[in-house]
Amino acid sequence: MSKAETEFNRRDFLRGGSFATLMTMLGGVELITRTSARAADLETLVPFQVNCAVIGLGAWGREIIATLARLKTAQLTAICDTYPASVKRASNSAPKAKGVDDYRRILDDKEVKAVIVATPTHLHREIVVAALQAGKHVYCEAPFANTIDDARVIAKAARDARKQAFQAGLQTRSDPQRHFLLDFIRAGAYGKPIKARAQWHKKQSWRFTSPNPDRERDLNWRLDKATSIGLAGEIGIHQVDAASWFLNSRPVSVTGFGSLIHWKDGRDVADTVETVFEFPGGVNLIYECTIANSFDADYEMFYGTDAAIMVRGPKAWMFKEVDSPLLGWEVYARKDIFYKENGIALIANATKLANLTEKATDESAYTSTPLYFALESFLQNVNTVSSAVEDFSATFDASDKAALNKYLADLKLTPAAGYAEGYAATVMAIKANEAVVKGGKITLQNDWFELG
Amino acid sequence: MKITQFFAVGALTLLLAAPLRAAENWVRYVAQPGGGQVKVEGTSTLHDWSVESKLIGGYVELDPAFNLEKPQPGKVNARVAVLIPVRQLRSDNTGMDTIMYETLKEKDHRRIEYRLTEMTLKEAPKSADAPLLFDAKGELAVAGVTNKIQMPVTMTRVAPDKLKFAGTVSVKMTSFEMKPPTKLGVFSTGDEVKLTFDWLTAKREETAK
Repeated sequence: MSKAETEFNRRDFLRGGSFATLMTMLGGVELITRTSARAADLETLVPFQVNCAVIGLGAWGREIIATLARLKTAQLTAICDTYPASVKRASNSAPKAKGVDDYRRILDDKEVKAVIVATPTHLHREIVVAALQAGKHVYCEAPFANTIDDARVIAKAARDARKQAFQAGLQTRSDPQRHFLLDFIRAGAYGKPIKARAQWHKKQSWRFTSPNPDRERDLNWRLDKATSIGLAGEIGIHQVDAASWFLNSRPVSVTGFGSLIHWKDGRDVADTVETVFEFPGGVNLIYECTIANSFDADYEMFYGTDAAIMVRGPKAWMFKEVDSPLLGWEVYARKDIFYKENGIALIANATKLANLTEKATDESAYTSTPLYFALESFLQNVNTVSSAVEDFSATFDASDKAALNKYLADLKLTPAAGYAEGYAATVMAIKANEAVVKGGKITLQNDWFELG
Repeated sequence: MKITQFFAVGALTLLLAAPLRAAENWVRYVAQPGGGQVKVEGTSTLHDWSVESKLIGGYVELDPAFNLEKPQPGKVNARVAVLIPVRQLRSDNTGMDTIMYETLKEKDHRRIEYRLTEMTLKEAPKSADAPLLFDAKGELAVAGVTNKIQMPVTMTRVAPDKLKFAGTVSVKMTSFEMKPPTKLGVFSTGDEVKLTFDWLTAKREETAK
C-alpha cells in the first residue's frame, strides 16, 4: 500500500467515522450518561397543556399551526376559517383539531381555553373582543387593527379582562436573543445612540390567487387601502416596535414616502416605502420596505458613538469605533468580515468567552423562530394566569376582586408584548402608513396613544 | 324505631357533636390574601435556589380560654390548617419550576398541607405587643407523604383582629420520598430544604364548624 493510499484511507476513516466508533475499534466503550428515572428531564416533561384554537387560516395561520405542533404545551383542538378549502388545507397539519367555519363555535366550546387570532387585520376587532368576553385567553396578531378606534377597543377589552392572558403578536418581544441584546444595549455598550435604520426587502407580489373570485378578493385585503395599512403598517410594525423598544422611547413624528413602481396590477397600495421616525433627542429611525427588490433582506442597525450593532434574525454583530473603550471579552469573540468591517458576533454568553473554556461558535444559542418563542410565552402565561386565578379562588374569598387583581398584577410573566405594547405599535404603524399615503410628516400626538 | 334505640342514636349524636359544639365558641382566624409569603430555599452543585409563593390558605381556631391579652405559658388549644397550592410556588426560571413540580408530584398532590397537632406557648411575652413564641408540632403533607414536624412559630397581633404567624423549618426531600432533582454531570440538588413562612390571618365572625 502506497503512502498516499494509506494517508487517504486514514483521512477517509477519520472523516467518516466518529470518535465513538474509533474508541470502540480500539477496544473502548462509549460511556453514555444514564439519567435517573426521577431526574426530571426538561425535554421529556410536559408541565401543562393549553387547549387552543387558531382563527384565520391563511399562510400565517398555517405557520402558527406548524409552530404549535412543535410546542409540547400546546394542544390544538380547533381551527377556524370562513373558507372551507382553507380549513381543509390547514387540517393536514392539524388532523386532530376540529375544523369550523364560524369563530363563535370556538368561543362556545368550553374545552378551548386560548385563541390565536390570525385573520386579516381589519377583522380582528369583532373576534378578539368576543373572545375576551367569552373568557378566552387571546393572542392577537399585530397590527391590532387598521384604525386607531378599533385598536383602542381591542386594547381596552384586553386591559379589562384581568383574569385572562392577552398577547400582541409582536414576536420579537419574546425572543431571547433580543432580550440578550437588550441588556447589552441598555448597558451602554454601543455608546450614546445617534441613529437607527431598519429594512425589509423581499421581491414578492404580496398577491394570492384563488379559483373563487370572492375568495381572491378577501385574500388580497393587503392590496386594498380600504383594508390595508400597507408595507409600513403590516410589515414595518414589527421592526419599528423592536427599534422603539431598543431605543427605549416613542417617536414624536413620522415622515413617509411611498411609490407603486413594480406591481401595477390594479392595487392601490405602495410596493416601496421609506419612512423616518423622529425620536426624542434628535435620534432618527429610517425604515425602508419594498417588495420589488430582495437585496440585503431584512435587518436592523443601531448606531451609537462607540459602535454600531446589526441585528439580523437570530444573529447580531457589533462594529466598534477605533476610539471606543475595550470591553475585554470581544478580543476572544468570533469575528465575521463584512466587506471592510470587522463584525464581532453578539451571541448569548459571548461576553463570558473570556475564560477561554468555551469555543467561539457560529451558532446562535436560539435556533427557533421568534414566533415559536412568542407562542411559547403565550402558552406559559396562559397557564400562569389561569392557574393563579384558580388557586386564588380555591384559597381565598374569590369575591375579593381587588385582592385577586393585586395578586394577578404581581405575577411574574414570561416576557411578551401585552395590550399596551401592541396598541402603541399599532398606532405607530397606522400613522406611518398615513404618512406614506400623504407623502409627508405627521406629528404623533400623545392622546393617540392614550387608551382612556 | 324502638324508644331505646332512639335514645341510643340521640346519645351518640350528642357525643359526636360535643367537640363541634365546644369549637363553636372558638375564635376563628382565616388566611388573608396579600399578607403572607412562603419561601423554600435549597442548594445544588450549580447554585443555591429558592421558590416563593404569596398564596397561603387555611385557618386558625383558638380556644376562647386562651387569653391573647395575658397569655400564659403552656399548651394552647388550637386548630390550624394551612394549604399551599404547589403551582403558585415559583422561581425566576420556568424550566426549573417544571422540575420542581415534577419532584413535588404536583399533578397528583396539588397542595402542600399542614395540620397542627399541638401548640405550646414557651414563655409569657415580655411586653404587650411582643410576638408570642410557640413550639408547634404538626403534620406536614408534601407529595403525598405526611411527616410529623416540630418548629418554633411566632404569633404577632398586627391589628386587634389580625394575627401574623411566622416560622422556619428545615426538612429533607428524601423523608417525603422525593428524590432530589439531579442530572448526571450537570447538577445535583441538596436533600435539605428550608421553609420560611409569614402568614396573615384575620378574625372571622362566623363560628367554627
